[in-house]
Amino acid sequence: QQRIEIHKLRDGDNLILGFSIGGGIDQDPSQNPFSEDKTDKGIYVTRVSKGGPAEVAGLRMGDKIMQVNGWDMTMVTHDQARKKLTKKNEDVVRLLVTRKSLENAVRQSMMQH
Amino acid sequence: YRGEEEIQKECALFPSAAVGETQSSVSAAEDLQTYSEREWKGNTTKSLLIRKGYEAIASEFNLRKVRGDNYCALRAVLFQVLSQSKQLPAWLHDSDISKWPKEMHSDQDFITEWQFPFETSKSKVQHLEQCLELLTNKWQEAVQSKSLEERERMCQQVFRGHDEEYELLEALKFLMLRTAVQLHSDMEKGSDVPEFCWLLFARDSSKCPKTFLTNHLRHVGFSGGLEQVEMCLLGYSLQETIRVVRLYKCDTEEFITYYPNDHKNASPLCLLTEDDRHYNVLVPKKFPKFDAYGRPKWNPPSDGQSSITTRL
Repeated sequence: QQRIEIHKLRDGDNLILGFSIGGGIDQDPSQNPFSEDKTDKGIYVTRVSKGGPAEVAGLRMGDKIMQVNGWDMTMVTHDQARKKLTKKNEDVVRLLVTRKSLENAVRQSMMQH
Repeated sequence: YRGEEEIQKECALFPSAAVGETQSSVSAAEDLQTYSEREWKGNTTKSLLIRKGYEAIASEFNLRKVRGDNYCALRAVLFQVLSQSKQLPAWLHDSDISKWPKEMHSDQDFITEWQFPFETSKSKVQHLEQCLELLTNKWQEAVQSKSLEERERMCQQVFRGHDEEYELLEALKFLMLRTAVQLHSDMEKGSDVPEFCWLLFARDSSKCPKTFLTNHLRHVGFSGGLEQVEMCLLGYSLQETIRVVRLYKCDTEEFITYYPNDHKNASPLCLLTEDDRHYNVLVPKKFPKFDAYGRPKWNPPSDGQSSITTRL
């Protein structure tokens, strides 16, 4: 498990994190390319923007988000997860993520190309 | 509609009552360690003790905060029942409990003393019948859920702070009264009763079921919560064991207390309290993916659901 601290980037009125999420208890888990268990309805990082705050903080595509600022993310809807990550008065979010082993990650990225 | 500033101020004033930006009566799960460090900064003896208590259980459980009114003990127990119960209990399965208010009313004149937290055009007996029927239906719906997600959705529907939630809480109070009546009658006959009964009826203010109702039970949710002996009655009425982690009792043998004390039940309902006044819910941190037979705990639905991604 990894602890990732993302400092959001201010872009006018918006706070950018620089990554995308997929998953949630209201979503179809069989479409998730990153989970080992295709019934896993957790929140996954589907994309990380190059050079963005998330990449700088060490977040990687395929990471499963377990907690956001102490809030459990393993049993939430997609929208609940989005809300916990995009609070307007929070400049920093601290994530707890699990990451598959290096060899699996390499295998995964090779399959993508 | 309340502005975000107002909501934030209220959260600061009532930290134990804050349940986030939704109307939910039970908040989402959060990490105990993080919560403890945020709520109990400082180094007073009390802070250190409470944080020690949180730390002791942080690896086992997550926290779900319960709306902090005088119903919170009942609410926490009801939530655990609906979210964790594996099957309908025998007493619920074997009887039509919605008949019980009429039975009690024909026997003794208690129900006229009942107080409801909402308006009702029905008679008190009829409304209690409705409450008990609702409890039966919701409990059935809960145990018949096909997945953890479905169950969670069902619970979120119930715990919205609407009349339905309070009807279920009043149903629990009725069950407590009915059990108190039975136990008191057993005591008078000289039959064996659980230990807590003696304490329940030893209080000057509740020497018998009638005064228990008028001086204690009917005020629960309004001007008072549940005393510890009443927690025993609640557990016993539901044939459940309520296991409470009592943080201010950390370092004593009362740190974890069972209501009732004979804890026959192998799967107790787990609650947390800092002060025996406000109760929150504890959920096990690691929920098993497979049941005792090695079968996966929930079935993949694949019924045309969405699979969206959101850029943040």
